[in-house]
Amino acid sequence: MRRLLLYLILGIGLVVFAYPFVWMGIATFTPEAEIPELTLLPSRWTLDHYRLVFERLPVWRGLLNSLVVALAVTASVLVFTSMAAYALAKLHWRGRETVFSIILFTMMVPFLLLLIPLYTLVVRLGWTDSLLGLIVPFMMNATGVLILRQSFLTIPRDLIDAARIDGCGELRILFTIVWPLSVPALVTVGLLTFIGSWNEVLWPIIVVREVQWMTLPQLVALFAVGGGAEGQLGPQLAAAFLLALPIVLAYLFFQRYFIQSFATGGLKG
Amino acid sequence: MGRGIAGIRLEQVWKIYDNGYVAVADVTFEAAEGEFLVLLGPSGCGKTTLLRLVAGLETVSRGTIRIGDQVVNDVPPRDRDIAMVFQNYALYPHMTVYENMAFGLKLRRVPKAEIDRRVRAAARVLELEHLLDRRPHQLSGGQRQRVAVGRAIVREPRVFLFDEPLSNLDARLRVEMRAELARLHRELGRTMLYVTHDQVEAMTLGQRIVVLNQGRVQQIGTPLDVYHRPANRFVAGFIGNPPMNFIDGRLERLNGLRFVGEGGHVQVPLAEAEWPNIQPGQRVTLGVRPEAVIPTTPERATVQGPVETVEVLGAVAHLYVRVGQTTVVAQVDAAQCPAPEQTAYLHFDSTRIHLFDAETGQALLRLA
Ligand SMILES: Nc1ncnc2c1ncn2[C@@H]1O[C@H](COP(=O)(O)OP(=O)(O)OP(=O)(O)O)[C@@H](O)[C@H]1O
Ligand SMILES: [Mg+2]
Repeated sequence: MRRLLLYLILGIGLVVFAYPFVWMGIATFTPEAEIPELTLLPSRWTLDHYRLVFERLPVWRGLLNSLVVALAVTASVLVFTSMAAYALAKLHWRGRETVFSIILFTMMVPFLLLLIPLYTLVVRLGWTDSLLGLIVPFMMNATGVLILRQSFLTIPRDLIDAARIDGCGELRILFTIVWPLSVPALVTVGLLTFIGSWNEVLWPIIVVREVQWMTLPQLVALFAVGGGAEGQLGPQLAAAFLLALPIVLAYLFFQRYFIQSFATGGLKG
Repeated sequence: MGRGIAGIRLEQVWKIYDNGYVAVADVTFEAAEGEFLVLLGPSGCGKTTLLRLVAGLETVSRGTIRIGDQVVNDVPPRDRDIAMVFQNYALYPHMTVYENMAFGLKLRRVPKAEIDRRVRAAARVLELEHLLDRRPHQLSGGQRQRVAVGRAIVREPRVFLFDEPLSNLDARLRVEMRAELARLHRELGRTMLYVTHDQVEAMTLGQRIVVLNQGRVQQIGTPLDVYHRPANRFVAGFIGNPPMNFIDGRLERLNGLRFVGEGGHVQVPLAEAEWPNIQPGQRVTLGVRPEAVIPTTPERATVQGPVETVEVLGAVAHLYVRVGQTTVVAQVDAAQCPAPEQTAYLHFDSTRIHLFDAETGQALLRLA
């Protein structure tokens, strides 16, 4: 009886959270006229919306741009933040605490504040209308440093010293000893970074004007507000659905680590 | 690698940590080529710090460290040709036993076949052959300890450093591994620097012992040296179990020179010729080990008093006897020891007593 109640409550919760997403997925295959009815069972299935999206938007090119940007950003964030986190957690040097405070401080600076100086910089470097302009400003971030430092702190000092005696330099220690022991935290940082980069719309809109360098979210956003969809809901939803798909897939694939990392205090402190 | 054996020499080495704590003060000692040298001292006396200095994991604040003929102060750990066994083993959790042992060799670009030969040879010696594919978390404490030793052996370093490698093992395993390490030392013939706070380990393994306290060397000598001729009160009290009896008092001249302590409850005649540096009136501490306190007749007794406790350990028993305000421990034959509450009559074997200056704690010179 108790059990039943529990399942009922969980079931309601599931419906509340899942319904919008499920509806959206189904709506992309529903004829335009039926969409406002919020139905989950359309009278017939259609691919028209997707056809329109693929006709009007360079979806594949946008997908490729987005992937390149997100992967490059994620890879470099993993490398650079773990280097910083290692230095902060495991090496002793003058000014370490100060540097850490400064890094923490940068977390409090809103991105909007950085927008104009960053833009000026990118223009000066001639990186507008290029993927470089989308990648370089995000190659490092404070949150990643914080999460990884916290995880690295749990690695015993003797383990690292043993590797030093065995013949490792610091970089090799980081990548052959520390990394394999910090997989959940690395996955967390990787996913957060990837998702953040994937979803970024504002910055690409500012830096990129040529369609060939636009990312998928940028294309979708411009499509939805820019009238490319001719006010139709179906194509807009279809474009948004395409956008969300890779993220959902990535999450499903990595969620085991993701949850583990949060559960084992990857974000503590 | 493979450059054979080398000694270690520390000269006036200091280590002052960033927070100003002086962990090692003016330490000088030498481990000869192939010697098994034990660093012995209580917790926090700077043993690990010393070992880490030799390994290059900490930098010396002052002084020089030599391995072989080379001053290694500025040489990074990997170029010192040493191997270290850590107190908690520090095995790489994500590598198998085999990979743990092979790791250091791979980094040194030792050919695969040679790595395999050395790892298997070490595994055979340490009886790890059937465990080579396991990961550290699938091993018992004793097995992990052997892997840690194996990881050191395969490197064939000039010098082995051990930081309390047996302290996490149970008593039986500890005895076993002690014998194992002694055998390894005989077979490898390499210089070994071994840190422990356990005097039994120090006495059984060490060819010589460096006794440390509060970052300073107290005495360097063979196990029997430090046991029978402790340089000061600290060494005398630290080595031996149960510890040496200490009685504070002064030297007086009544019927010849004698030690009078514990408000006159303890009187020990001293042969003046044996003690060149003592004078009547001097305040001293008398030390006598439990095995030099011998039950005797009332007429010959140096001290007497009621028995407080008797600990029977099989063949021998420890007798705790109340003398004045203090307790004197005697190690006696279990078969003929008095019962609690009875009066015990004890004699201090005069050839085995020690005198320490009451102020400095230094042992007073004794001839013969
Ligand atoms: N990084 C450090 N910074 C400041 N003080 C330290 C540091 N490492 C050790 N110490 C201090 O130096 C002293 C000696 O430490 P060390 O670890 O060498 O002792 P030990 O003899 O190995 O003790 P144990 O038998 O408990 O292992 C201790 O009082 C310790 O608190
Ligand atoms: Mg220690």
